[in-house]
Amino acid sequence: MGGMSREARLNAAFVMVADTLTADYDVVDLLHTLVRECTEILDAQAGGLMLADGSGQLHVVASTSERADLVEVMQLAAGAGPCVDCFTTGSAVSVPDIQASTEEWPDFRAAALEQGFLSVHATPMRLRGEIIGTMNLFGTSVGTLNRRDAAVAQALADVATIGILQERIAAQSQLVTEQLQRALDSRVLIEQAKGALSHSGALSMEDAFVLLRAHARNNNLSLRVVAEGVANRTLDLIPKLAAAAKPGPVR
Amino acid sequence: MGNPGTTDEPELSDIARWSRSNDLCRPFVDLLPVSGVAISVIGTLARRMTVCSSDTVAAQLEGLQFDLGEGPQWEVMKTGHPVLSPDLSLQRTSNWPVFGAAAAGLGVAAIFAFPIAVGAVTVGVVDLYRTTPGVLDGLMVSLARSLADQVATPAVKAAISSAEQDHAPESAGAPTMRREVHQATGMIIAQLQISAPAAFSLLRGHAFASGRSVEDVAADVVARLLDFRQLPN
Repeated sequence: MGGMSREARLNAAFVMVADTLTADYDVVDLLHTLVRECTEILDAQAGGLMLADGSGQLHVVASTSERADLVEVMQLAAGAGPCVDCFTTGSAVSVPDIQASTEEWPDFRAAALEQGFLSVHATPMRLRGEIIGTMNLFGTSVGTLNRRDAAVAQALADVATIGILQERIAAQSQLVTEQLQRALDSRVLIEQAKGALSHSGALSMEDAFVLLRAHARNNNLSLRVVAEGVANRTLDLIPKLAAAAKPGPVR
Repeated sequence: MGNPGTTDEPELSDIARWSRSNDLCRPFVDLLPVSGVAISVIGTLARRMTVCSSDTVAAQLEGLQFDLGEGPQWEVMKTGHPVLSPDLSLQRTSNWPVFGAAAAGLGVAAIFAFPIAVGAVTVGVVDLYRTTPGVLDGLMVSLARSLADQVATPAVKAAISSAEQDHAPESAGAPTMRREVHQATGMIIAQLQISAPAAFSLLRGHAFASGRSVEDVAADVVARLLDFRQLPN
């Protein structure tokens, strides 16, 4: 890739990140690709990526070096820093000279300087109103990303964000449809089992249900499992009912 | 639970309120030029829940498709696309000959069915009907699709929650799974010692042959007025 022009490299990066949207892909791979490409194309020394979990808590999920990782973890522990600000506000945060930023984030400043970073640019990962994380590029010299480079970082982050959100929606949908299927299946099996018991034991539907539930409880089985056995005719509860009705010692 | 006032001019944002008051059907009849609507959530093996129906004709249309195993609903489930039939009289011989004639018998002249999807999966159908023929224009089709999108999550939630209740009320207004049909299937399983799919086929076949609804026949089986051992093969 060394001989590639910046434009060509940039195009290749977009294709690479967009490609991950089409087929089965691994989110972690996508994030590593994103942060690596951004770091190299924009001449940063290191890059890191944080995503929020379901409760809005940020976590470091990818970084190009141990040093960047340390700074971000420190920032999260302190709950303050340019990347945290970027996530809270949803706007890019640029710190062209970390050494000069004495007031705002003392813990972040100390950690960054210790690792040899002098500048940072944090890009929000957002889609419409939703902010899911930030991508952070660290430099070992002072200076800010020019407007064009900042736009490139944002564009790459945007494409990756769409991919991440799509994957989350797909996972969520699958969960919901499975839950629906299971709820409908269980209900059908329970009603069928009630009908079957009601016929073979000459019971009311209500008594048939009580019998099903009692057998499930006494045997530590789910109602669904018992119902399925009865509906498939692999489990016959009526002899047990007859035995239980007999006087004398019964279990 | 308070009963939200429903006299205001309806808006799309009201869907959350309707969902709380369990009347997911209402925005469709209020906002679209249709006579009635039924919303169903459908799993595999025709396991389904009618989440709501706005009137008895809508409920009967739903029941017919359940009984016959054909109709716009089945087409939507298969293709994931809306089915628009602005004039049933022109379509009786097409995809669903039996259902088309039966629907006309209920006074239904036009049917528009829209998919309800969760992610990429079609999980149900919104059946809209009209007593006079006529197309839904582009704007109304978009509105219907948008309403169907918005109703997906509350409809699926309502279906799951109703299915999980052991003693869910199954009145006209509430979600219904036609529990008696499954109880009757169970009774036939025990009467004839056959599998559930075979028992259900017999039930459905008997209803069709005797010109009655499956629910009707199922009620007789559950009431022990009809025993499948006594039926001629």
